[in-house]
Amino acid sequence: MLRLMAFLQTDCPTCRLIAPYLNTLSNGGARVTGVSQDGELATQEFAHQMDTRFPIQRDPDFELSRRFDVLTVPTLYIVDEHDRIVRQEPGFDKNALNEIAALFGCPPVAGPYDGAPASKPGCTSRHLEAQTADAPAAALDFQSTRGAKASTIELADSEDPYEYCYRAFGDALPVVPPTRERIEKMLRATDLNPRQVIARIPPCYGEATVEKIAANAVMAGCVPEMMRVLIPLVRAVSDERFNAHGVQATTHFAAPLIVVNGPVRHELVFHCRQNVFSNVVRANSTLGRALQLILLNLGGARPDAIDMSALGNPGKFSYCIAENEEENPWAPLHVDAGLAREQSAVSLLAAEAPHGVSEHNARTARGVLKSIGYALATVWNYRFCMAFEALVVLGPEHVRTIHRDGFSKSDVRQFLFENTGVPLRCYREEEPGEGMQQRPLYKEITIDGEPCYQKFRAPESIKIVVAGGTAGKFSAVLGSWSTGARGSQMVTYPI
Amino acid sequence: MPITLVNPLNETLAQPATPAPRLAALHGKTIALLDISKPGGNVFLDRIEHLLKERHGVAGVLREMKPTFAKPAPQGVLEKIRSADAVIEALAD
Repeated sequence: MLRLMAFLQTDCPTCRLIAPYLNTLSNGGARVTGVSQDGELATQEFAHQMDTRFPIQRDPDFELSRRFDVLTVPTLYIVDEHDRIVRQEPGFDKNALNEIAALFGCPPVAGPYDGAPASKPGCTSRHLEAQTADAPAAALDFQSTRGAKASTIELADSEDPYEYCYRAFGDALPVVPPTRERIEKMLRATDLNPRQVIARIPPCYGEATVEKIAANAVMAGCVPEMMRVLIPLVRAVSDERFNAHGVQATTHFAAPLIVVNGPVRHELVFHCRQNVFSNVVRANSTLGRALQLILLNLGGARPDAIDMSALGNPGKFSYCIAENEEENPWAPLHVDAGLAREQSAVSLLAAEAPHGVSEHNARTARGVLKSIGYALATVWNYRFCMAFEALVVLGPEHVRTIHRDGFSKSDVRQFLFENTGVPLRCYREEEPGEGMQQRPLYKEITIDGEPCYQKFRAPESIKIVVAGGTAGKFSAVLGSWSTGARGSQMVTYPI
Repeated sequence: MPITLVNPLNETLAQPATPAPRLAALHGKTIALLDISKPGGNVFLDRIEHLLKERHGVAGVLREMKPTFAKPAPQGVLEKIRSADAVIEALAD
């Protein structure tokens, strides 16, 4: 009988990427064991955050890692009943994962458009890290994750601190002065070392130390407890799949939209109902604003310089919603991304501003979804297909109509996928226009008897969130920036 | 009492780089043409290549392409164009 051993490190982004796929394999009946090269606490935290459904053993002296001659993590070893290695697979590779699934008699676990890249290299195995340093691995000093202490500025008594900060640190709105006392209060809400580098923020790759994150959070008006959301959020925005380098520098409309899921919505009072995109509560407004200040002050994408957006996006003041999971009869967004329902999470999508869809008269799921499909059909440009994604924010009243007709979430996605297209007659004009050149790539379908090009590449290109108030039959469609491995992919991080 | 603020800005300053020396003439030089993979970039660079060869007597033209315009050029592409005397980049649609 075959079994799978996965060598992992808790701070390796590729190991975090592969964990939900290992869960799927394990749930499908494969005998999966994780081997963590890290300490007990870090391993427990990894298992909790990634909701691992397979046992993880530790490899404290790297005995197993040496015996298997692990070069990188993750590496998956398929071992037979005689302890012989029948296959080994370093890094993350969707094709390899699906082949491994087949070995265990499981269906494919990695779809092409689930938001993850097709492949991603891993990190060097810990025991090899140790060979390159004088100290043993357990005592490695992670210098590269330790940043400089922030400098301080002493204001003269005559200086109005609000005016000073407005000039020196803010965008076009006033900020709360980041006094030493306020920063200290913020730092007490986390166990992390103030000088620890959480990420380097594109496009200028400024060091986001815990202290710098705290300073920007203070300026945005965050409560100290928000640090536990900000740390994973800063990691998410710097995830190479999200490609903040491109998102922040493009001439397009995109701005990072934060979607908050799970119990943290209640714990920190995030808002998911009436006026969800507006200025209702402190949590949404200040978290969105803190991210923007971090991108500006640490990432360096100033709207008068490196951020080249031609028309911009009002979301660049603050762009944060929570999902109305209580009005969602299906799985919420973070569960679609492979996390447990009870796990709090933040997702990021490089999104345009919301485009409203009003539909007060449709009485069926089909009727509501047709209205949404017509809005989806014009995302980016009416003739351009396949190159982007969209987020559909379904209002609770629309959800009730759709759910009443027995639609599951994947039915909704499939219906929108099959019924969103651009009529072929739109391409007859001689005049060149965006989306004409790519026609050989498009797929022809029939919608209501009319030949059309299919708007989206796959059902998974249409992301679905439930949010908003229970009065009013409205939904919204948000176009994305260029997506997939060539653009920006949605990322979901556990909190 | 004076107020002390913690600096919220990026303080890891990038090392300033010196611009490459400018070419006095194109004759005999190798010119890299970098297509960032936006639609139409090849049309522009085909014309530039033609002009460089016909009118300016360049020794050679090196054509390279970024896999996507949405991300910085990968190291492999940078390594290849490093050998050229100058680079012309086709930026937009």
